Amino acid sequence: MFVIRWVGLLLCWPLAVVADDDALAQVMRALAAVPAVEAAFREEKTLAVLDVPLVTTGVLYYRAPDFLRKRTLRPQPEDYEADGQWLTVETPDAGRRQFDLNGYPQLRPFVEAIRAAQAGDQAALERYYQLEFQGTPADWSLRLTPRDADAQRYVAAIVLRGQNGRIDRMETLEPDGDRSVMTITSR
Amino acid sequence: MRRWSIPLLWLLAALGCGWIVWTTPVAADLTLFASRADPVAELLLEQLRSGPTTRLILLGLADDTETERATVSQRLAERLRASAPLARVVNGADALPEAELQALFAHRYRLSPTVAPERFTEEGLRAGLQQRLVELQSPLAVFQKRWLAGDPTGELLSVLKQSGSGLREPAKRLGVWFSPDGDRALLLVETRQSGYDLAAQRAAVTAIHAAFTAARAGTGVRLEMSGPGVLATLAADTIRAQAELLSTLALAVVVLILLLVYRSARTVWLGALPVLSALLAGAAAVDLLFGKMYLITLAFSMTLLGETLDYPTYLFSHRRAAETVAGTLRQLWPTLRLCAATTMFGCLAMLDAGFPGLSQLGVFTVAGVAAALAATRWLLPALLPPNWTPPQPMAVGPWADRVLQPRPRLALALGGCGALVLLILIVEVPTLWENDLAALSPVPRELMQLDQELRTALGAPEVGHLIAVTAPDAETALRHGETIAAYLDDRRAAGWLTGYDGAMRYLPSARSQQQRQIALPEAATLTANLNAALEGLPFKPGLFAPFVDAVAAARSAPPLRPEDLRGTLLGTRVDALLFPGERGWTALLPLSGVREASALAAGLPQNEASRAYYLDLRAETNRLVADFRAAALARIGWGAALIVAVVWLGLRSWRQVAAALIPVLLALVFTVAALLALGERLSLFHLVSLLLVLGVGVDYGLFFSRPGADPDARRRTLHALLVCCGSALTVFGMLSLSALPALRAIGLTVSLGVAASFIAAVIAARPLLTKMS
Repeated sequence: MFVIRWVGLLLCWPLAVVADDDALAQVMRALAAVPAVEAAFREEKTLAVLDVPLVTTGVLYYRAPDFLRKRTLRPQPEDYEADGQWLTVETPDAGRRQFDLNGYPQLRPFVEAIRAAQAGDQAALERYYQLEFQGTPADWSLRLTPRDADAQRYVAAIVLRGQNGRIDRMETLEPDGDRSVMTITSR
Repeated sequence: MRRWSIPLLWLLAALGCGWIVWTTPVAADLTLFASRADPVAELLLEQLRSGPTTRLILLGLADDTETERATVSQRLAERLRASAPLARVVNGADALPEAELQALFAHRYRLSPTVAPERFTEEGLRAGLQQRLVELQSPLAVFQKRWLAGDPTGELLSVLKQSGSGLREPAKRLGVWFSPDGDRALLLVETRQSGYDLAAQRAAVTAIHAAFTAARAGTGVRLEMSGPGVLATLAADTIRAQAELLSTLALAVVVLILLLVYRSARTVWLGALPVLSALLAGAAAVDLLFGKMYLITLAFSMTLLGETLDYPTYLFSHRRAAETVAGTLRQLWPTLRLCAATTMFGCLAMLDAGFPGLSQLGVFTVAGVAAALAATRWLLPALLPPNWTPPQPMAVGPWADRVLQPRPRLALALGGCGALVLLILIVEVPTLWENDLAALSPVPRELMQLDQELRTALGAPEVGHLIAVTAPDAETALRHGETIAAYLDDRRAAGWLTGYDGAMRYLPSARSQQQRQIALPEAATLTANLNAALEGLPFKPGLFAPFVDAVAAARSAPPLRPEDLRGTLLGTRVDALLFPGERGWTALLPLSGVREASALAAGLPQNEASRAYYLDLRAETNRLVADFRAAALARIGWGAALIVAVVWLGLRSWRQVAAALIPVLLALVFTVAALLALGERLSLFHLVSLLLVLGVGVDYGLFFSRPGADPDARRRTLHALLVCCGSALTVFGMLSLSALPALRAIGLTVSLGVAASFIAAVIAARPLLTKMS
């Protein structure tokens, strides 16, 4: 009986993986089918240095395949825009600065975690992360663990949650215990 | 016994000289051009020799895909850092390793330019804390937050901005430097030794090639390399290869001529003895007097000593069966002696020049000619059987008499022509000198272009412009550097230059550091200010204890000195830009993108204790060369006067002096005119070659106007001079075919000059003698 269960598990295991892969591929296709997104976000950062969580709110814009803009409105206005290889940062103090993402490889995984995910670009995600998919296409979560040792110094994991082609939530876990949760509400 | 005593003595002397030459270093630098009393020149040459800009090697990685180029760039940088003995290897990736970042963080209150009292008041701290809070909300906070507790005022950021904003950084792709068009990945390598330390540069170049071969494995990436050291190595190799090839060929042809003319192998090796003696004696004399010899002196002197090749030929051609070798030499002796004396006295004026290069040239020639003369007079007869004559099958026939027939009208026409050309030259010549040493560089034009391209893409300082500060100590140099930096910041805003570097950017003067320390409040005040500033902000209580401790520690820390940074990347930068020398310290500020050089130089702030010099290396080098040439010309003028005096002393007749010297004067005039007509711009190499023409030409004149010579003797003289002129034309004619500007200059000048001297002497010497008598 015990043996049969083991054999059964062994036989089913690849099937389970195939099923997961299938679901992941399905989610990726659904995400890739979305041409543009405009959503409100609320981000709550729990940091060791602060007594209370730091809450920011703003708007996210996405346009397939590689335009992403995170516009923070409160408490301090800030604008981050990733368009292809260019990252533009605009703050009231420092003004507008543009970086070539190619020149700052440590920034790339952060941008791709959400931009490549929304684009349904699994290959791009896998370049920077190990993927762990759970759930069904209708209610899924995707755990991204950085491959690069340098990135691991800053991020332990990023967990995305969503329904089909929509990302609802992005949770970032840092190695020192700090974490941030961003909830995304489509408009 | 007596027969062998002279060769034995010669052998001992040759061995002694050889030993001296062998054990004395040869210097391949440009200090010989510098006047002994010119402080700027000294600084300049120091820079040309070993300044930081000469130590840069620029690397470009081309071909294959962008990704491969970036990967190879990374692998190459890693390999070079791990293995090669280089001061610095940068390719744009991760400019500061963690340890360096920690060091900067540890010293932030002394290094940061923004430390000021108002940053540590309640308001200042509050502004800083609010700024940090804003940074925490940013997605980039993960990179910065670890510094927060120790640095709420953000001094580390100021330090990084300060040290990173010097010279413009190249564009980056895939994390490494690339040219703007993306075709080349770029790396910058700095060697430990000077760019003109050819052995060290060659080692560096070899190490880079080896590392690249390993790094490129499996890709189609191609390496391009440039920089002063690379170009100098290449130039040295090219010159050596060309000179070796041409001199081997020339030697073979001269041996062939001698064999053909005299049909005797003995003439070949005996003919070489005076030249050999001249070289050994000249080099040994220079080594003994100066302790070292400049490579370029050696090259120039060897050219000048070409005259001594003629001495044995005079003997061989004047031999006749009726008299002994010693007898022939006795007859030739007054003329031969005068030939050598004119050259020696012509160079005597150079001995006391203010330029080490000129003095060396003078010593070399005087000693060399004396040795060659002695070898011809005493060594050759000792080695030859007393009645030896060369088989001489190519003896001159009756046609010689026709050639030697005096032609007064032709001579007059030649003289008139010469005077006219001289007049034109005097009006024209000041504008015809070439002062730019680079114009004589043997480096191919494409490589120069590559160098320029890589330099522009990397934003590397041009070798051209820099400011040098000389001071009694490092602190004074740094203080003056800070004053100049403020001046340059101001001028940069006006667009006069695009950037500058300097030690003060990485290490402030102790005075600046102390001013910053004074700006830091004591612990009690700081804690009170901090607590007040934290009111209403969400930071955890006690979070900033490391900050309070760090400020307290920084207040009493001793100022950082250059030696405290040793062993770090920062230390390497500082050492390259601030270093001790024989007379105190020198600080360098390399400039890039200079648009208003003279205005920048004019407004340069000066100090009482230290001096700042603006160096435009190219302009200054050219000025040095021009000064050197002016001094050389003046000395040659004095030398000419001495030559006239010596010839008069030897001949005791103005008529004979005129017959001996006017032909060579005409020849020089015609040579210069011919060179200019060929489009040559006269350089130092031409000038030295003209000196050889003077030496040889005076000899021709003296021999053709030899007093008391019968027609037979004149025929023999013609034979001798034909052989001399023929071999000189062959050797230097070959040099003139070289693609290297310097060798071409020497070859063209000497072959033109020798031919002109010969023709002028044949046509003018005899008529001058007979006409006036």
